[in-house]
Amino acid sequence: MNRRTTLATAVALTAGLVLAGCSTGSGSGGPELKIEGAFMPEPVMDDMAAGFLTVKNDSGTADRLTSVTSDIAEEVTIHRTTGQKMQEAESFDVPADGELNLERGGNHLMFMKLRKKPEQGDKVSVELHFEKAGPVRAELPVKETTHNPKKQ
Amino acid sequence: MLKKNALAVALVATAALTLSSCAGDKADSGSSPVSDVSTGTDEKAATVLDRPFEKPDLVLTDTHGKKYDLRERTKGKPTLIYFGYTNCPDVCPLTMSNIAIAYKKLPRADRDKLQVVFVTTDPERDTPEALGKWLKGAGDPAFTGLTGDFPTIQAGARQMGIGIDPPKKEKDGSVVSMHGAQVIAFSPKTDAGYVLYGDDTTADDYTEDLPELVEGENP
Repeated sequence: MNRRTTLATAVALTAGLVLAGCSTGSGSGGPELKIEGAFMPEPVMDDMAAGFLTVKNDSGTADRLTSVTSDIAEEVTIHRTTGQKMQEAESFDVPADGELNLERGGNHLMFMKLRKKPEQGDKVSVELHFEKAGPVRAELPVKETTHNPKKQ
Repeated sequence: MLKKNALAVALVATAALTLSSCAGDKADSGSSPVSDVSTGTDEKAATVLDRPFEKPDLVLTDTHGKKYDLRERTKGKPTLIYFGYTNCPDVCPLTMSNIAIAYKKLPRADRDKLQVVFVTTDPERDTPEALGKWLKGAGDPAFTGLTGDFPTIQAGARQMGIGIDPPKKEKDGSVVSMHGAQVIAFSPKTDAGYVLYGDDTTADDYTEDLPELVEGENP
């Protein structure tokens, strides 16, 4: 009896550890998404800017970025880069247990009809709309025009 | 003793489970060092061509609205040429700003020699005025901006191995343009295009290489 109890406790304890270490996140309200490494290079035009960030999804549920809004621009679109061309995309996939990378030279957020030209040191807030997780707010610090952090 | 054994077995078994449930992550991180090796830190930004190519015979319009003959104006001068457009939010300003940072670090005499030429791939929107304004912000007022009719620009780019498609209007009215894949350096000694830089070239890379390019040497 005693032995069984010990065994059961050990299993229960380690099961808890397994969950904490590798959450499957199938809870309510869709996957929990984290925004990391967000920034906006100081634009050279007063009507257009780009934004970059990483969406981390530690859950087992895939999601999709469908649109973006911001106080700073009348229009924010999501752009896919193919070769040397940039084109508006319908949505970007956020894979389960994976990430969506918007990085320089690749896919990005495009801010059009800026209400105000962002300067280095400013912070631009955006609301990212996901199909399942709903809206997620993020702040993009404005960095120098050439800011280009090393790819992960 | 027996009790302790049971506990140990249970722990080992669940430890194995923990590992296997995270196998996806582990496999990913385990394979990444292999790809890191191929992108070593001492890899050069510059690609020196075995067979340099001739500078194209390109006559366009500069930011002052004046005729600009590329061969005539850059003869015997170190020259960097890049094809892009001003409505480009990311790579075009990044490339020109990186070059501008390195350019500003050159001694005055070298800056006077080096010609940095930006040729638009979107001439309809990039008028001489629009180009001039953009270059001041994205690059340096000393840089040259060129516009003209698209077929002429495309033919010039093709002679440098740069493929560009004409801007395409989408149904919603937006325009999809295209920038060139590389910056090309022309030697002051031979007037030939002999070094290429991709869009991942940093300001530091250009800072390191420009003094050599000004002399027509291999970076």
